[in-house]
Amino acid sequence: MLAGAVAIPLFLHLRRRRIENKVDFPAVRYLERAEKENVRQLKVRNLLLMFLRIAAVLAIAFAAARPIGAFFGAGHVPSALAIVLDNSLSTSAIVNGQPLLATLRERALEAANAASRNDRVWLVTVDGTVTGGSLDAVRQAITRTDVHPGRGDLANAITRGAGLVVGSGMEGRQVVVATDAQASTWNAPIATGDVRLSVLAPAGEAPRNRAVVLAEARPSRWTPRGTVVARAQLPDSATYRIALGERTLARGTARGGEDLTVRAAPPERGWQAGVVELEPDELRADDTRFFAVWLGAAPLVRPEPTAGPFLRTAVDALVQDARVALGGDIALAPADGAVRLPALLLAPADPTRLGAANRTLERLGLPWRFGAPRRDETAVRGDKFDGVRATLRYPLEAQTGATGDTLATAGGAPWIVAGDGFVIIGSPLDPAATDLPLRASFVPWLGDIIAQRLAGTASADLQAAPGAAMRVPSGTDGLEAPDGQVTPLTASSNAPSRAGVYFLRRGTARVGALVVNAEPEESDLARLPLATLRDRVRTRDALVTADAAEWRRSLFNLGARRPLQLPLILLALALLAAETLVVRRDERRRSAA
Amino acid sequence: METSRASRADLIDPAQLASLGRMEIVAKWVVDGFLQGLHRSPRKGFSVEFAEFRPYQPGDDLRYIDWKIVARADKWMVKQFEEETNMRAAIVLDVSKSMDWRGSPERMTKLAYAEQIVASLALLLIRQKDAVGLIRYDDTLRSVIPPRARSVQWRRIVKALEEGGSGKDSDMSAALVQAGKLVSRPGLVVLVSDLLVDEEATLAALKVVRAGGHGATVLHIMDPSERDFDVSPEAIFADTERNFQLPATAAEVREAYRTTVEHAIADWRSKLAALGVGYEVVFTDSPFGVPLRRAFASRQRLP
Repeated sequence: MLAGAVAIPLFLHLRRRRIENKVDFPAVRYLERAEKENVRQLKVRNLLLMFLRIAAVLAIAFAAARPIGAFFGAGHVPSALAIVLDNSLSTSAIVNGQPLLATLRERALEAANAASRNDRVWLVTVDGTVTGGSLDAVRQAITRTDVHPGRGDLANAITRGAGLVVGSGMEGRQVVVATDAQASTWNAPIATGDVRLSVLAPAGEAPRNRAVVLAEARPSRWTPRGTVVARAQLPDSATYRIALGERTLARGTARGGEDLTVRAAPPERGWQAGVVELEPDELRADDTRFFAVWLGAAPLVRPEPTAGPFLRTAVDALVQDARVALGGDIALAPADGAVRLPALLLAPADPTRLGAANRTLERLGLPWRFGAPRRDETAVRGDKFDGVRATLRYPLEAQTGATGDTLATAGGAPWIVAGDGFVIIGSPLDPAATDLPLRASFVPWLGDIIAQRLAGTASADLQAAPGAAMRVPSGTDGLEAPDGQVTPLTASSNAPSRAGVYFLRRGTARVGALVVNAEPEESDLARLPLATLRDRVRTRDALVTADAAEWRRSLFNLGARRPLQLPLILLALALLAAETLVVRRDERRRSAA
Repeated sequence: METSRASRADLIDPAQLASLGRMEIVAKWVVDGFLQGLHRSPRKGFSVEFAEFRPYQPGDDLRYIDWKIVARADKWMVKQFEEETNMRAAIVLDVSKSMDWRGSPERMTKLAYAEQIVASLALLLIRQKDAVGLIRYDDTLRSVIPPRARSVQWRRIVKALEEGGSGKDSDMSAALVQAGKLVSRPGLVVLVSDLLVDEEATLAALKVVRAGGHGATVLHIMDPSERDFDVSPEAIFADTERNFQLPATAAEVREAYRTTVEHAIADWRSKLAALGVGYEVVFTDSPFGVPLRRAFASRQRLP
């Protein structure tokens, strides 16, 4: 098409060589002499005219193609720009007297201010929040952006930003990222396809940081005793405090890499919130870590004589340790002799009692049945069951609507299952059937089973990062915030965005706890070197820099480029005007003379 | 004033005037108008007026010695007077094909315009009792009428003019030489042509005419389109006399063409002036009185 466009003025220019019109003109000798005497001037004039005509047609042809390019260094093509602001917990670290996030916000505002009304701009933060609409709305959102109390998902934010600009259908597409370049965040390659990516990372070393990276109640249900285990990430040492509710359990000086263990038997009952605190440093948000624990009295158990001597001996040991007490709340008995829940139900030692055992399970409404006995020596698989073997076992068979957890398997079939108010073991606790009661881990396991599975009501102890998706336990309908405010829960709820201990509610009762803490790796502020960061960015021609000026120059992808249609049309008009001037110049000069 | 000017045939549009009657009648109108516009009669004092003094030479008639000067200055000077005998003039008309052309249908062809001029000039001279002849030529001599002062001479000239041209090339040199021969004693040769001829040969012929003691005047007849080059915006321009063609776009070469024409006219003017030949450019849209006045002015310069 371009060649055709160029050919038009060439054709027009050379057309006179094929003139058909013939005119008598006696004074041709003057014309001949004029051409001879002015041949150089005529050639220059003709070449100039040809150039002007070709240039004019080319300018029009280029204008029709709607090109984009640099023109007097101003403006840019209408663009879609996604500003990804890394507001993860690590950006709350104080750098040069102010939170790093404040600096990143300034850079993000610069990007937004560089936009024109023809651009579309979005703000995307690591917690997945997207703000679009008017430039003012985006600017306000940037100004209001606060620290996300967790790690967030920067990669997802970048991908989402790229999706937004691609979806806009605009010609210029760019994602700009203002980040702290935290190594634990940029731990995988990131690409934005055809969308240009500009990443601004701070220069220099990250500040030193102290953080609580572990705070845990072991077990999660104390009856009533338990242990709080904490660990701090410390470059040196720092004072700490461990508290449960209003009660301080421990206070002292911690050193890096050292676990802090505090045993306690608080008098409070029910779900309680606990916290492990360090003295403040440049990153305050991870100086505190929360945990939750259920506190109750020692459960009352009644081991049936038919359950065997090993179970009785283990219960005696637990009673001596005050972890359980003898009473009638929890039955520990063969399944064929149980009459109510909660109960630890054992498989019958006599296979002839299999029918009676299954009828008991049916009568108690449990969705499990004992299968036909197997007398092969089989390894048991499950947490805390390493090396345990079963020589007589009744594979547990799930019935319709079976619920609960399978704690161990043998020969591929469930061997120990647990549910609301019951634990079923697929073998009698007899060395002739399994060596479980002979194991050293048997007594602690039994104590945990009684405390966690059979004592009190069923409850949940959930851990989640701020804003992360969580699985809401069935039967819970509300979430009680640390300030006591209760919000409804749905099956697809996300964890709150503020760290703390939240209690799961069923009506007015607390039936579990949701502990929201930032990811421990977010406390590691170490930054990726720029070269490594560039390797992680797989977008072609991406810019990764610590130079804010360079980053600003990269804004709006095409820099100082803009549509050239109008300038080209103006150029074409100017060329045509020049052509007319050249053609008419002689006549005007003549007229003036 | 305006009324008087409008009524004079020598000052109105030549094409309009020519359309009013035959050449003979039109020529009379033109000459009458022309003579009406003169401030004094061109005939007065033609033959008896004093001309000049010159030193006495042996053989001069003693009657013409101015004795008063001899007495005062002791120098022998002879009085000279205008010749009483009427002038002999030959008009040389180019009737080649290039003359039979006009740039616009609203104008006369160069030849028609020139013929009208020749008729008028001849009538004017004859009325002054001058002898006038005519030579028409293209590539050969088409008509040769020796100078005569009788009134029938003018009708003879007009008849010759009505013969028309042959449409061939010009051989001006032969015509001019022949004109010089026709005028037996020093007289006037008036060349009426578009000068689309070989310049060197023409100048050489005029030089011969001047060497014969004749005065000479050239009326360069041009169509305004030959000056302005406004015939066609774009065409193959053909010189049928030379069988030569040249394609051109008027807008591209017009300025150069006009400059060339101006230079050519200036060239003719300077070279003819160097030979003592009068030269006037006459455009075919000019009233007939204009070239007539110029030709008459040339007549006044005769020795």
